[in-house]
Amino acid sequence: MFKDLDPLLHSQLRLAVISILVSVEEADFVYLREKTGSTGGNLSVQLEKLNEAGYIEIEKGYSGKRPRTLCRITEIGRNAFEQYVEALKSYFKATT
Amino acid sequence: MEERNLTQNESLEIITRMIKETRNNLEKDGGSIYLLWGYVWLFVSLAIYFLLMKTGDYRMQWLWFAIPLIGYPGMIYLLKKEKRGAITFAGRVIGNIWIVIGVVAALLSLYMFIDYKAFPILFTMALLINTGVAMSGLIIKFKPIIIAGFLGILLSFVILMLNGLDQILIFSLFAVIMLIIPGHILNAASRKVKKA
Repeated sequence: MFKDLDPLLHSQLRLAVISILVSVEEADFVYLREKTGSTGGNLSVQLEKLNEAGYIEIEKGYSGKRPRTLCRITEIGRNAFEQYVEALKSYFKATT
Repeated sequence: MEERNLTQNESLEIITRMIKETRNNLEKDGGSIYLLWGYVWLFVSLAIYFLLMKTGDYRMQWLWFAIPLIGYPGMIYLLKKEKRGAITFAGRVIGNIWIVIGVVAALLSLYMFIDYKAFPILFTMALLINTGVAMSGLIIKFKPIIIAGFLGILLSFVILMLNGLDQILIFSLFAVIMLIIPGHILNAASRKVKKA
């Protein structure tokens, strides 16, 4: 029996963002944009979706005079990611 | 990267690639900070050694304060320049260890104003800083730093066996063993990872 894949994570950019955020304590917008190779506009939209679902928290502040957006994964996001990986495993087990 | 649904294989590939991108490499970017402290330490201690040898004037010992006076502003400048964009758990732990070591080193130095014979300051400083180097190496699991730290801890005791100017000469050697050599190795490792 296949487990359902979380639709919020089953998208290229959102999955990439969450995969980065599980590996670091926090990452800023520029870092995420560079690592995912996305456009700023698209990344903003996807970050907002993850934030609304409670998967990440976003902190807007300043680094010197420049605005800086910091993102961190939440416990809900970490659990969702773990479940997503478990679901993914069940697909691969079934096909091997 | 577009916003679209994925196959299971694509999902796995994204997860693996993104985690690999961030793995360990962030902490291994610290080579230039090791080099900054290492060279400041080396030049200041050698300068004190030669000035004491030439003049015999023990007021030259004030020059030790040049190490933090040059080192801290230099480190702040480097950290701002090399803004990393992300902080890992290991990176934060290492940062906090060095904050504690910095505070203890400052307090030990300041106590010298009260009683300069209270403890062997060069031995204490060498032991303290080498401990920090060994801990940092263990956290990032980087052999050259681990070896440098533990070798430094052992060699710190040599200072206790020496007297006068020789102590300062050995102390300057520590800068090469525990900061300059590991710093160059770290930078080389970081460059290799970035090229891959």
